[in-house]
Amino acid sequence: MWAIIGIVLKIGVVVGLMQGTVAYLILVERKVAAYAQDRIGPNRAGRHLTLPFGIKINLPFGLLQPIADGAKMVLKEDVVPTYVDKPLYILAPMIAIIAATLGFAVVPFGPVGPGQVMQFQIAPGVDIGIVYVFAIGSLAVYGVVLAGYASNNKYSFLGGLRSSAQLISYEVPLGMSILGMVLLAGSLDLGKIMAWQDQHVWGIVAQPIGFLLFLVSGFAETNRLPFDLPESEQELVGGFHTEYSAMKFGMFFLGEYMHVITVSYLTVILFLGGWDFPGLSVEQTGLLSAILKVLVTAGKVSFMIFLIMWIRWTLPRFRYDQLMDLAWKSLVPLALVNLVATAGIIQLIRG
Amino acid sequence: MNEITTSEFVRSLLAVLLGGGGVYLMLPKGVSGISPRRGFGAGSAAFALALLISATFWSPPGAGLSRAFFVLFGLTSIASGTLMITARDPVHSALWFAAVVLSTAGLFLIAGAQFLAAGTVIVYAGAIIVTFLFVIMLAQMEGKASYDRSARAPGRSVLSCFLLMWALAYALISMRSDARATVEGGSARLLADERILIPTPSITRVGNSPPQSGLSEVLRRASRPTAQLPERSNPAGPHVAGLGATLFADHLIAVELAGGLLFIALVGAIAIATPKPPIRPVVRVASPPANAPRL
Repeated sequence: MWAIIGIVLKIGVVVGLMQGTVAYLILVERKVAAYAQDRIGPNRAGRHLTLPFGIKINLPFGLLQPIADGAKMVLKEDVVPTYVDKPLYILAPMIAIIAATLGFAVVPFGPVGPGQVMQFQIAPGVDIGIVYVFAIGSLAVYGVVLAGYASNNKYSFLGGLRSSAQLISYEVPLGMSILGMVLLAGSLDLGKIMAWQDQHVWGIVAQPIGFLLFLVSGFAETNRLPFDLPESEQELVGGFHTEYSAMKFGMFFLGEYMHVITVSYLTVILFLGGWDFPGLSVEQTGLLSAILKVLVTAGKVSFMIFLIMWIRWTLPRFRYDQLMDLAWKSLVPLALVNLVATAGIIQLIRG
Repeated sequence: MNEITTSEFVRSLLAVLLGGGGVYLMLPKGVSGISPRRGFGAGSAAFALALLISATFWSPPGAGLSRAFFVLFGLTSIASGTLMITARDPVHSALWFAAVVLSTAGLFLIAGAQFLAAGTVIVYAGAIIVTFLFVIMLAQMEGKASYDRSARAPGRSVLSCFLLMWALAYALISMRSDARATVEGGSARLLADERILIPTPSITRVGNSPPQSGLSEVLRRASRPTAQLPERSNPAGPHVAGLGATLFADHLIAVELAGGLLFIALVGAIAIATPKPPIRPVVRVASPPANAPRL
């Protein structure tokens, strides 16, 4: 009974934290975009704030901007065009956000394993860890495809079609890119993969090609620039979310940013050592080391998120045929070669 | 094999009849595919009743939450399966199919088959149904065709399917009472013949010890007749490793055959898909010079 309450509590904390983080990620994104374009970005919300009892404070960097953005999302008129397929139209954003949230169930936020103070994972001890994340991730495409279909609009429809083709194509190299790490660590469990990296080397050293493939395919899975063809504003007006407004649009947005967080976490866990840092090791099970490990992981994840935002303003969007060529003619063969080479080397060394 | 009791017989007959009648009423009929709303309502009510009756045969595993989830996933999968064949819009059908796959994956999870659950979701829900959706959406650019919206020979198909269903239900129910009798008799084995169970030596490596058996053991296990089922080994390590060991030792021939078949199909698909030069090449007419008089 208490175990169930504990799990529900954990779920609540993780989901709440993620929603809050996403709200601030939007601010960070706008700031990064502004600096990349030599602007200042949002800097007004939070200035000259008068709290109760007449306390006046000045918050820098527009720190209250997410609250303003959120209020705008909620208070806007929620337009549902008359020609849409209504059940699917309402279902699509829900699928987008639910699929993005469910993936966090097996992502370790810190140390996991027997003997730890606390399992920093909602569902510890899932043997198939990473496969579960991929399974949930493969469901995210439904949100986009259904939004495109239900909107009954040519632009949305084209966005949905592009998205389904893109996500199916990039799932193949994404799945194969991690197999090298799985072979090395001998487990699909994310906690064990981190423990292996602590005892040996970081995944980025052991599997540089795997890291590159994972990063590129992960970008494609998050639907962000340079892979944002489903919503490319210049050609498709906004693609699959053309007909969406207010909080339904906001849900797609939230889903996208949660994907960014998931991909960053996975990259850090699989290739950047997770909580691994000089001075920290698997053997430490104290509370202090647990907190340190969580902070180290969060720091690395923040760096990855920043990198993803940075790349958005660095690379232009692919053309559709280039996108498909990249997946099927470059990434898939490279992933296969990497996999075979890794398996061969492991067999030679251990056999 | 034990006889099934009269009550079980009556319940299963009722469930099959109500289910069949309900599905027949729910199926889209006629050229337009629009059946009366009342017929759909009555059909779904009959089907729900059949589902409740059939639920009395279930023996959910475990207790508490897992039991609740078993009932939830079981009901969802059957209901979504029915809605999949009775939906008028092919896109809705594909979505109900996805719901069936997801709830089946949930049942796998309850049974402890994590990898199978995730694999089912990735392959079916993540790839195959998305491809279905892709094709349906591409094919339906100009409205829905009448043959997409109505069932072909609904009466006959429902009759044959539910006859099959009844046979299956009869077999399952008698097996169930059989299993119950054996449990009371002291053995929980469903497999009656103990002789076909042979102990399986492990070929997975434990720790750093050298493999106990090499290629010859794999070949021996692979060439064993399928009728000789290996004893269900208790997985010591992660069960993905156990799954791999079973697939690539016990079912090696089947796996290789399936792989070869898929490879041939892939080669065939590429051979069909690549554009060929047309049989009668189009004669290219030279464009008239720019200053030619217009006719």
